Formats: sequence, structure tokens, C-alpha cells
Amino acid sequence: MAAGALAVMACILAWVCIRQASFDPAVTVAAVAAPAAPAPAGLVEPWPAGLSPMSAAEAFTPGTLSDKIDGKADLYLSAGFVSMRSQRVRLAGAPGSWMEMLVYDMGLPANAYSVYSSQRRPSALDAGLGDYSYEAENELCLVHGRFYVELVCSDSSDAARGAAEALARSYIGSTAVAEHANIGAEQALFPTEGLVAGSIALEPSDVFGLDQLDNVFVARYRDGGGELTLFAARRDAPGKAAKEAAELRAFFVKDCGGKETPPPPYPPGAAIIEMDGGFEAVFSSGPYVAGVHQAPDRESAQRWLGAISHRIAGARP
Amino acid sequence: MNPPSPDTGPLATRREFFRRGLRAGAAIAATGGLGAWLLNRHPPGDFSRVRASDPRRDFSVRTAGPRMAVATGRSRPAMLRGAMAAMGGIERFIERGDRVMLKVNAAFATPAVLGATTHPELLAELVRLCRGAGAASVVVTDNPINAPESCFELSGIAPAARAAGADLFVPGPGSFRPGTLPGGRLIRDWPVLFEPFAGVTKLIGVAPVKSHDRAGASMTMKNWYGLLGGRRNQFHQDIDGIIVELAMLVKPTLVVLDGTDTMMTNGPTGGSLADLKATNTLIVATDAVAADALGATLLGRSSRDLPYLGRAAGLGLGTTDFESLHPARVPAQSS
Repeated sequence: MAAGALAVMACILAWVCIRQASFDPAVTVAAVAAPAAPAPAGLVEPWPAGLSPMSAAEAFTPGTLSDKIDGKADLYLSAGFVSMRSQRVRLAGAPGSWMEMLVYDMGLPANAYSVYSSQRRPSALDAGLGDYSYEAENELCLVHGRFYVELVCSDSSDAARGAAEALARSYIGSTAVAEHANIGAEQALFPTEGLVAGSIALEPSDVFGLDQLDNVFVARYRDGGGELTLFAARRDAPGKAAKEAAELRAFFVKDCGGKETPPPPYPPGAAIIEMDGGFEAVFSSGPYVAGVHQAPDRESAQRWLGAISHRIAGARP
Repeated sequence: MNPPSPDTGPLATRREFFRRGLRAGAAIAATGGLGAWLLNRHPPGDFSRVRASDPRRDFSVRTAGPRMAVATGRSRPAMLRGAMAAMGGIERFIERGDRVMLKVNAAFATPAVLGATTHPELLAELVRLCRGAGAASVVVTDNPINAPESCFELSGIAPAARAAGADLFVPGPGSFRPGTLPGGRLIRDWPVLFEPFAGVTKLIGVAPVKSHDRAGASMTMKNWYGLLGGRRNQFHQDIDGIIVELAMLVKPTLVVLDGTDTMMTNGPTGGSLADLKATNTLIVATDAVAADALGATLLGRSSRDLPYLGRAAGLGLGTTDFESLHPARVPAQSS
């Protein structure tokens, strides 16, 4: 009898485990309906003159960010996203004009710079606000410490742009941050000649498709009639930089079908790989891993390799 | 025989042991039965828990055959009228008394000018065409997860739908039923939009051309994503797979792909007018795979760059060789 009772209990346990293992969408529908996070107070208090709240503030977590921005959430999640708050505001005296303010807490200034720089529009103009900022027609984007802020206006009128700037100043003035974003040291790694203005970006993960490669600075350069990319990243130790350079080189050859070409004379240990009709170059120097991406020909790859390795040699500790 | 120990009490008889054992077993069985009976009887939320059913729906007009028309210009209403005429007229697809559903992209509470959602002028003209063909009703719907009312209103979709004589359906938790796609790997016992399909006889998908961080591009096939409820963001881990399964799920009457302005970068949300490029194209087709293959070219890509197109074509859901449909080219239309 005792064995029978134990068998019944074992059956119930197995049934509970099976039910728990199978996902029930009904529960998740309810999870959507539940508030993801406490509704925050207004994003700015008080609002600058001429602006008034049009909606309540909303808050999003890593689990709910895609509810708001769908497939773009991965960009933020891969860069250390912590939370996001958003609110729409109305512009007085401009019927039908409104803007949405989105404040992303990225945890660290470098993470905020990463999402800022990877979305910068080519036609953007520096806005001179916060740590880094730009204006692209109807949108104003900025980095303030660990926060990345987007102000999306419903139109690109002077009134809307002026209101966005006033709101940005108000937000920066009322939001204390412990540390500001500063990429001065990384900027110095890149040659100035040929650099496409505003193109220095921090790629947070899966750089060039290699999932082990993260937090790499990239910059676009004009080369003849086209463009290529230089990249550089500082690691904790020279050994780690050398290991990553070797992994990237192997990735290009083994996984991307690239072909090694004769090594360039400079810098020592560098490799140039022909791949997809272009040329990739990789090397490490002290704590830095760096190189050239998608050069149109070998000569160009070698020339830019020399340029960036020269800058890195000057920056080495 | 040893006498009973004074500190353990009298030993139970065999009969009493069996009686106690039976009672304990009955209690365990009753508890288990009660748990089974209560399971999902009152699940959290308003989700209507019914047995998963086959959610496939076919709204195609077989007699129309595979067709495609491509209009150029800047006026969406004029391009739509021109393309529909080149398709043989809206009457070829919408008959008197039809109940039409228009599945728009209303995913974001952003103004129409940013190109992240179905353009209200295009929607309004499509509603008018359907009404003009004698449709008994036209319902406009999508399933934006965040603030759906704001998405429909601020995108201009709700005002345009109302003004043109369509009904707006904003889904709630009770609008979904669990569905399992036969042969599907992802859509299994998953909440699928159900309620607004009641009585619907024709389905038209209307979407803009956008870049998409995950899928590469968001066009008419990705637009069916709005038919899914629940925590659908987990499907982003296999975005190509879910887009293909959605193409298996519904066979629309028509798709309308708006490439008047294409969101070249920072999709699917965009945010800046600088993300848009005037590509001056509107595609109407019976074959969503073909429409999206042509739409990909507006993004400077080919069907090979979007794996879901090839996979859908491989399953016989359409063709990536859109030229094989001999698309009717409709010259620039003025408003």
C-alpha cells in the first residue's frame, strides 16, 4: 500500500514537472497586461516653458523594451541596457506638434555612447549639448553620463527643434551624473586624415560577426571613391589583445572563407586577408587589437594598416 | 511473542493499516485530481483558454491568379488607384458583400511622416476602394503591444480609418485564441489574433518598407507578426522562422507594400526623417514573397539577403523571382 501511495505521489510530481516545463501563453498574456515597472514621475520637472505633458511617463525593463521598440531592442540589450523611460509632450502654440522623449539608462557612459554612435545619422549636425549630441532633422539625440536621450519631434519645424533643444538643456541641468562619457583616448587612436566626421562608433558586441569580439571602436574613412573602416580596442593585457587578433584572423579565414595573403612588412605580426572581394587586416600591439575592415585592395589595406598602427604606437603605455 | 512496548502504543492491526493506507491514497488522489481540475480554469488575465486549433486562413482569390503591379510617384492614393487598375480592378478581388480586414502596421505611436507605420492616406484610399467595390464592412486592425490606442491615433491610422468608413479593431487579451500551425515549429499552442476575423471574407496586408535590425527588412510578410499575441518578442531569436510560419498561417487576398519613402536605416522604429529615402514606389500583389523580394531592392538588397524569402519560396508560399509575375508597371501618378 505504501508503495502504491508513493507511486501516486511520483506520478503527481512527474505531471507537475511536465506542466511546468511546457510554456503556457495564457500566463504571458497576463504578464503583458501587468505593469512592467512602476510608472515614473514626469521625465522633467518642471517642463520648460511652452511644453506640457501629453501622456503619462512609461517605464520599460530589459524584459519589456521590445514592447516599445520591437526589433530595435537588441541594439540596446546587447549594449548593457538597464531601463528606459518615455513620455510625450505637447508644444504650446503649435497645434498638432508634439515630441516624445526617450531616456535610456545604459548603466555606463561607454554603453550610452555605444548606442548613440551606432545610430548617428550621416547627415547629422553636432548640437553642442551634453557629452555628445547631434540633431538630424526632427530628432535630437544626446549622451549625458550613462543616459542616452532621444527627442523625436512630430515635425522638423524651427519651433519643434527649439523646443527639443530647450527640453534637452532642462534635462541635462536637472539630472546629475557621477561620470561623463569621454572617448578622447579612443579618438586619438584614429588618424584624422580621411575620417568621415561623426563616424567614430563603439560596437558593443558581435563585431564583424564574431561573437567573442565586443566593445570595439570603429571609424569610417574615405578611400578613393569609396569608404573603408578602421577599428581599434584596448584590452586589459597584451596577451588578451593578441588572442583576440588571432581569433579574428582565424574567423575571417575559417568561417568567412577568407584567404591569407603574404604578411605586410609593418606592423610586426599583422595579417592581411582577402575576403568577399575586399581585404581585411588585423594586428595587435601591446594592449590594443586593431585593423582595417573592407579595404578595396591590398595596397589600400596596407596603407591604412600603417596609419592606424602608427597612431597606436604613439598611444601605447 | 514480545509484548507491545509501552512507549510506542499498541500496534495497528493489518485491517487498520490497510484502512489508513487507503485513506491516505484517496487523499493524495483527490488532491491531484483537484489540482488537475483547477488547472487553467481561471488563468491570470482574460485570455480565453480553449483547446489549440488550426489557425490557418486562406483569403486568396484563386481565379485571380498570381498578379503584381508596381506604381511610381509620390501620391499614395493615386499610385494605389493606378496599381489596382493594373491588377484588373479592385472588383477582381473584392466582391459586393465581402467583409474585408485590413492588417496595417500600427506598431508604434509615431507620426505618419516618420514612415514606421502604414501611411493613413494610403489606408484611407484602400478603404474607399473596398467600399466602392461593395464591401459590406472594412475593419482595420493590428496588435501593437505598447499603448495600442496611442499607436492607432498618433500614427493617423485611426482617424483615417474612421473618416474613410472603416471600423477600427483594437485587440484586447480576449481577442486571441491558442493556435497550432500544422507542421509549425514555433506557432504551437500560441495566442493568435482570432476575434476580428469573425465573418471576414477578404484580407489585405498594408505595410511600409523598412530596415529591421533583426529581420533585415520589415515588409508585408513581417507585417503578419501583429497577428501574434503573448510574449512574442521571444520569436526574435528565430525571426526568419517565425516570418515563414506566419506566411504559412495566412494567405491574403492582396498585399500592398508602400515604398513611397523607404526607411533605409535605424528600423523598424526610425525616429528621424533622415532615415527615409524617397523611393517613389508602391507594390500591389497577390504574392507576398514576390512583393517583398521587389521591396528588398528598394533597401538596396536582394532576396538572397533576406533568408526568410528563400525559405518561404522553398515551401511554395510564393516566388522571389518577382519578374516571373510580369508585374504591370504603372507610370508616375499625380494626385
